[in-house]
Amino acid sequence: MADAHVLLQHSAGLHARPVVTLTKLAKTFASRIHVAAAAHGPWIDAKSVVKVMGMKTPANTQLYFRAEGADADAAVAALVALVNNDFLGGPE
Amino acid sequence: MSNVGIVIVSHSPDVAKGAADMVRQMVGHGIPLAWTGGNPAGGLGTSVEGILEAIDAAWSDAGVAILVDMGGAETNSEMAIEMLDPERQDKVVICDAPVVEGAVMAATEAWGGSDLATVKRTAEELNRED
Amino acid sequence: MDTAFARSLVETLARRVIEHADELTQLDQAIGDGDHGVNMKRGFEAVLADLDALSGSNAAALFNGVGRTLVMKVGGASGPLYGTFFMQLGKAWPATLNAATLHTVCLGAVDAVAARGKSHAGQKTLLDVLMPVCELLATGADIAAIRTGAARSAQATVPMEATRGRASFLKERSIGHLDPGARSSQLMIEAVCDAVERAG
Repeated sequence: MADAHVLLQHSAGLHARPVVTLTKLAKTFASRIHVAAAAHGPWIDAKSVVKVMGMKTPANTQLYFRAEGADADAAVAALVALVNNDFLGGPE
Repeated sequence: MSNVGIVIVSHSPDVAKGAADMVRQMVGHGIPLAWTGGNPAGGLGTSVEGILEAIDAAWSDAGVAILVDMGGAETNSEMAIEMLDPERQDKVVICDAPVVEGAVMAATEAWGGSDLATVKRTAEELNRED
Repeated sequence: MDTAFARSLVETLARRVIEHADELTQLDQAIGDGDHGVNMKRGFEAVLADLDALSGSNAAALFNGVGRTLVMKVGGASGPLYGTFFMQLGKAWPATLNAATLHTVCLGAVDAVAARGKSHAGQKTLLDVLMPVCELLATGADIAAIRTGAARSAQATVPMEATRGRASFLKERSIGHLDPGARSSQLMIEAVCDAVERAG
């Protein structure tokens, strides 16, 4: 189990393009991964593009990641890095 | 390529191409993707021939998910599926989803390697959301 | 039915539709988007152009080929509808043609059209000619009765309100107009009657 949180600075918040990039990255990991806009949830499946898009999280919100599985640490680290890098550098 | 292919069918070739461009930009090149729009007369509408060509261009052994805009696009897509070779017919589905958003969702799901039923279900979640 | 006769049937009905393209356009301008004549003409010209190639094997293959050509070339709603009709005829064409098997294969083709268009009788469409004429076949009606039946059924669409297809958007303003799909069906049936009579 791994968790972390990171400030969402992307100016338009968690809108379509970053959501697609985020879920694509989440899908490259075997772990179950969840994301939330608050420390206590609600926890959204980070691999579900429709569900993450429904979060409509605005900029300057903390994003919380939680992962369970063999690659949980790597998954959370990668997702935090992606958010910090303004959603650039995600998988092709 | 064993990811599900995505076909976008719109009455407008501009809309179909535009939606395909958005999918490519957001999801990348990891999925087969094709689009078609316009009727046999070159006006707004859809063409069974165009849909068959698009299915062929986006063909994948994992199957093809079709996104359509309105009525005629769906009817012509159904017609196209019935005119496919029998081995391909069971591997093509039409998604009940808004054409642009559905294409993006379906493509993202397909990119992750999901099977055809999952890709279709993901696209259709949009119409089930409240 | 031998292929040569099937070919002459198709040729007759194709030419009939093409001759009446302007009339179909006018009918469709009144309660549709005005392209029925143009679309059907395009489709049947493609059929005529391909007739030699399509007539290569047998009547069933010819009808199936005509259907596929119509689907690809007519466009609009009529392409899939008439295309499905001919494709289904070709798919289920009987080994022995008699009154009973003719009725059965026509009924199957008409049902396929209804399924394709998700429609039924009474909605002011081509089905309002195809279905009654098909029923006439079940009663063993002769050519004269089929001609009259087709004409009567097409005319019967005039007072109907459209509840399917483009005309349904006009609602009660569709009343008082002959349905273009009903008319093109009537024309094709009359052409078939002519070809049968010519063959004696």
